[in-house]
Amino acid sequence: MASELRVNTLKDAAGNNSVGMSTVAEGSCKTWVAATLAAVIYDSFNISSNTDEGTGDYKYGISNALSRSSAETHVSGISLGYTNIIRVKTAEASTSMIDIQSMNTSASATDGHHSVGVHGDLA
Amino acid sequence: MASILKVDTLTGVTTAGSISVTGEGNSTTTNLQQGLAKNWSQFNGSGTVSIRASFNQSSLTDSGTGSYRVNYTNSMSGTAFATPSAATARDNGSTYALSMNGDYYTPKTTGYSHFLFLGRSGNLGDSFADTADYDMATFGDLA
Repeated sequence: MASELRVNTLKDAAGNNSVGMSTVAEGSCKTWVAATLAAVIYDSFNISSNTDEGTGDYKYGISNALSRSSAETHVSGISLGYTNIIRVKTAEASTSMIDIQSMNTSASATDGHHSVGVHGDLA
Repeated sequence: MASILKVDTLTGVTTAGSISVTGEGNSTTTNLQQGLAKNWSQFNGSGTVSIRASFNQSSLTDSGTGSYRVNYTNSMSGTAFATPSAATARDNGSTYALSMNGDYYTPKTTGYSHFLFLGRSGNLGDSFADTADYDMATFGDLA
């Protein structure tokens, strides 16, 4: 049977290492995804869809929406390749969509296996 | 009334490794285990590399200029995992970035014990470079 425990603070049995439930909720990564250069998902959490929009362009739907657009919250990512980085795009970003681009040091879009994570508040 | 729960281990009832936490909007839930960072590290990548602060990291290996291996204490699962990561350099305004090393994809069928980075200086084009301050975090599933 499902059970629900309502509590403000968690501590270990010795009474140390205190953490508030607000920290647990706010500090948790709300969605993350690891995918191939063609946006095929290896593993994910709270992701509803994956789209390869062209060279280096990727879009991922979020199952349980954020309270703010993903372009306005904390997004971090990394791309496979000697010179690749991840850029957060705003074009199609929303509370239920992550829009990113894998780029090289010449600022040109380039395909790359990649992963991203989003912190922030759920709606 | 404020409440405090004292416990050493939290385990789900229906599924041991799955506990729901109500989100900030007081309606939807997020998953405690899936949302937790399984590793994070702040390390010095210049000169003799060293870990300044970390979680679930047994050691740091300098594997060449701009190349680092973060060794986990508890391995990640064999399938791929997400590694949201950020690198910053507080180094006279130079720009740096971290990329994944290709070895990331080699041991996919067994527990994954480390993550490889490549540090690069934007000011030096595509050159690999060491810098003093790297930050990273690993999400995904533990083995």
